[in-house]
Amino acid sequence: MHNGSANGHATVATPAGVTHDLLGRHRTYGSKFRWTLVVLGVLFVLGIVGFVIRMQDGVSDPSVWGYYAALFVFILTAAQGAPLVAIAPRIAKAHWRRPVTRAAELFAVVGVLNLILFIPLIWVLPGLDDGRRSLWFFGELNVPAHFPQFLTTLALISLTVLGLALLWVSSLPDLAALRDSTTGSRQRWYARLARGWHGTSAQWNMQYHRMGILGAFYFVTMIFVHFMISVDFLMALVPGWIDALLPITQTHNAMQAGVATVIITMFLLRRFGGYQDYIGVDHFWAMGKLLFALSLLWFWFWFSSFIVFWYGAKPGEQGVLELLTVGPYLPVFMAVFVLVFLIPMFTMMWNPVRTSVWGPTIIAVSVLVGALLDKIRFYVPAYSVTDMEDKHTLLVGQVPAVVMPEAADFMIWVGALAGVALSYILASKLIPAVSIWEQTELLLYKVHTKFHRAEFLVLGKKD
Amino acid sequence: MQEHYILTEKEINDDLLRGIFYTPKWWPPAVIVLTIIFLIGIGAFGYMLNKGVGVTGLNRPVFWGFYMVNFVFWIGISHAGIMISAILRLTQAEWRRPITRAAEVLTVFSLIAALMAAPLVHVGRPWRADLWVFPYDFARGVWINIRSPFVWDPSAVMTYLTASTLFVMVALLPDLAIIRDRSTGIRKTIYGFMCLGWRGTPRQWKLQAVAGILLSALVLPVFVSVHSIVSWDFAAQIGPESWHSTIFAPYFIIGAIHSGVSAVATVMVVMVWLWGWDKYLTPDHLDSIGRLLIVVASAWFFFFFLEWVFALYTLEGPELAMRDLQVFQWPWSGLFIVFLLTAFFIPVPLWMFKKVRRSLKWMFITTILVNIGMWLERFLIIIPGLMRRGHMIFDWGSYRPSIIEILMVMMTFAWVLLGMIIFSKIFPLIPLFDIKEGMIGRTMIKIGRRMVPASIRE
Repeated sequence: MHNGSANGHATVATPAGVTHDLLGRHRTYGSKFRWTLVVLGVLFVLGIVGFVIRMQDGVSDPSVWGYYAALFVFILTAAQGAPLVAIAPRIAKAHWRRPVTRAAELFAVVGVLNLILFIPLIWVLPGLDDGRRSLWFFGELNVPAHFPQFLTTLALISLTVLGLALLWVSSLPDLAALRDSTTGSRQRWYARLARGWHGTSAQWNMQYHRMGILGAFYFVTMIFVHFMISVDFLMALVPGWIDALLPITQTHNAMQAGVATVIITMFLLRRFGGYQDYIGVDHFWAMGKLLFALSLLWFWFWFSSFIVFWYGAKPGEQGVLELLTVGPYLPVFMAVFVLVFLIPMFTMMWNPVRTSVWGPTIIAVSVLVGALLDKIRFYVPAYSVTDMEDKHTLLVGQVPAVVMPEAADFMIWVGALAGVALSYILASKLIPAVSIWEQTELLLYKVHTKFHRAEFLVLGKKD
Repeated sequence: MQEHYILTEKEINDDLLRGIFYTPKWWPPAVIVLTIIFLIGIGAFGYMLNKGVGVTGLNRPVFWGFYMVNFVFWIGISHAGIMISAILRLTQAEWRRPITRAAEVLTVFSLIAALMAAPLVHVGRPWRADLWVFPYDFARGVWINIRSPFVWDPSAVMTYLTASTLFVMVALLPDLAIIRDRSTGIRKTIYGFMCLGWRGTPRQWKLQAVAGILLSALVLPVFVSVHSIVSWDFAAQIGPESWHSTIFAPYFIIGAIHSGVSAVATVMVVMVWLWGWDKYLTPDHLDSIGRLLIVVASAWFFFFFLEWVFALYTLEGPELAMRDLQVFQWPWSGLFIVFLLTAFFIPVPLWMFKKVRRSLKWMFITTILVNIGMWLERFLIIIPGLMRRGHMIFDWGSYRPSIIEILMVMMTFAWVLLGMIIFSKIFPLIPLFDIKEGMIGRTMIKIGRRMVPASIRE
């Protein structure tokens, strides 16, 4: 382990040195950075144009909004799932998390963009009075016809606010460091954001408690949001689709795609952000193992659903399988299967692939592309069958043809993904992308010691 | 882990091998009582073979009774060993060291109990077991039906049993060599044979470590597949209401982990009470497994919740009627309340308190409660699911277990306990080499004014 920066264990040995070094890296940016912002800004504007074109079609026909819904859920999965990568290892007190947590938490800012993207879907989703199945016992419990829209909006707002709160709370010590190292209006802004942080024992105790509570709430809210979206905005639209596992598979996808997003972000920060001394093979190795385990789980969840439908062979379930898996969208499903499961499994099982920077990064790209196609495979066909007369059974012969994306869909996709990158980059200029205080804390727990004839890195672990 | 005992190798050998070289007072009566219960169960089994399955409470349409409940229960318990051992080993969790062996052994004996509980028993003609797998006259084109649970289940369980036994044996080798070196006569010869010439050379240690890691990684998919396959025995059917659900495989697995990890915690407490190993199994270990149990139990409850929500979501009359039977009709309603209280609502709030997690007595009580609840859970899935009146069923009734079934359920419990305590007389229940390795890698580092325990890792 004692290889210095190659493993991401920076050779700077004092807390003051680490703080100074990381603040310096945070402030450095050149012309490439500005050009990146310009390009992303232009693409984002293109997305707005695409959105305006899409709005010309109105919101009464859900089938034209399938790709838009898939985009919204993909961002919810890949970007808003990323903070989970900070929460879980922090609870487990894993040291490898230290340069990863902030980079993951910064994705919480994307929640604001996604909340805006969600607004049209509130009108696209039909009311419960159209006769489909629902969780809400419409007609028996006196539930309003647009109850799912209301509850999901509330859940999404909660998720976004919790994500931002987590980011802010975990950044307090770093905001104080920025306050103390800047002047003028920047200092005043950082002073406001740092809320009088001076690093007293009481403040640190409170900090750990707040992060723990906010992390737990974010995780629970994430599960709830996926539950709501996957049932009311997906399953309920397909007649005969009853899959109790779906909310869990969707939450699992968020964890898998979240890890993939963070791996790619770490790669970019290491290569272009100047953090190569802090982000090393150790961190890619740890996240690679996580991605490998989550990819195996993907197969298990998928197979658990598939075998019950396939073996049960009820007419309605055959229709659902035809629509989502083995029918017109079979090529998309096969691509998902290869990208999300086969490629990660047959590459990440080899230690040399996991213990590299490039290996987990390339696999993460594969997983993200697969996750994107997976959302298309679910949402586009589901939004194309909303006008079926029988709201409780979909037969094999009733499955419609593939819905192809239009130019407006491409523009929205490109623009929204550029918007995600743009908002992340801008946020990383406000708050350091690598947590300064967690890096300095690591110095306290890290000792190099001699064991027989070899020298080892010893890491202490808090109770 | 804040409670560190520094023990010498001699102290470890003396403590952990005492049960093998000297017989504790409680051991002979415990073996006798358990053997009697076991033999009574065998007698009941023999009686059933002689008279036929008509002596059980199984009847139309409830063809799966206590035997199947017990089968699923023991398969569930068996999941703890591998989960605790393999996952904690792969993640290098320090607190695993004194627990792994007992957990692995619990897996082996509960798997055998599962095999005793159902496949060989409840079909009624166990002498035809070979025909399930190697049955047919291939020359006339009669082949095995690979879509039958008779092929799925034995294949999965036997693979798991083989892998788990290998897992135990590989980890036992260094400890067997220590017993060999401290024995004389025939005992030395037997242990010398069993330890396969272990001398503790660097090559042997390396191979043992590699085998341990490989088995850990390979046994995990097997562990997941076993209970998934058991769950598909139910979920693939469309007849009984409440069974045909996609969530069954993960729900069964998480339930198995819930009951299995609880069983391991029970075993840990019993090990401290019977052998006095409180320097090895400290309150810290109970605290760690208690925290794990909170996470596992909460996840299980979420799956349980989803299973119920989507049963109601179907809005299908038979499914809703079946849920009504489970929750509102006596005696199922009473059992349902007991199940929920014991599996979740009593233990989990108690585990939130650190004092409870660190208490032997409370951990024993709460983990036993969990397993009572989880046994009832399987009972409530199987029996009401089968007994509800459906189409094309013209002969229905309830289910009342016969004394034969009750005796055979007791037999499986006696078998597991008997197996564990006989194993503890022949092999060490806490791995000596793992404890010694933990002692070597243990150190303290100074952070500010405090000394914090730390572990040297590769």
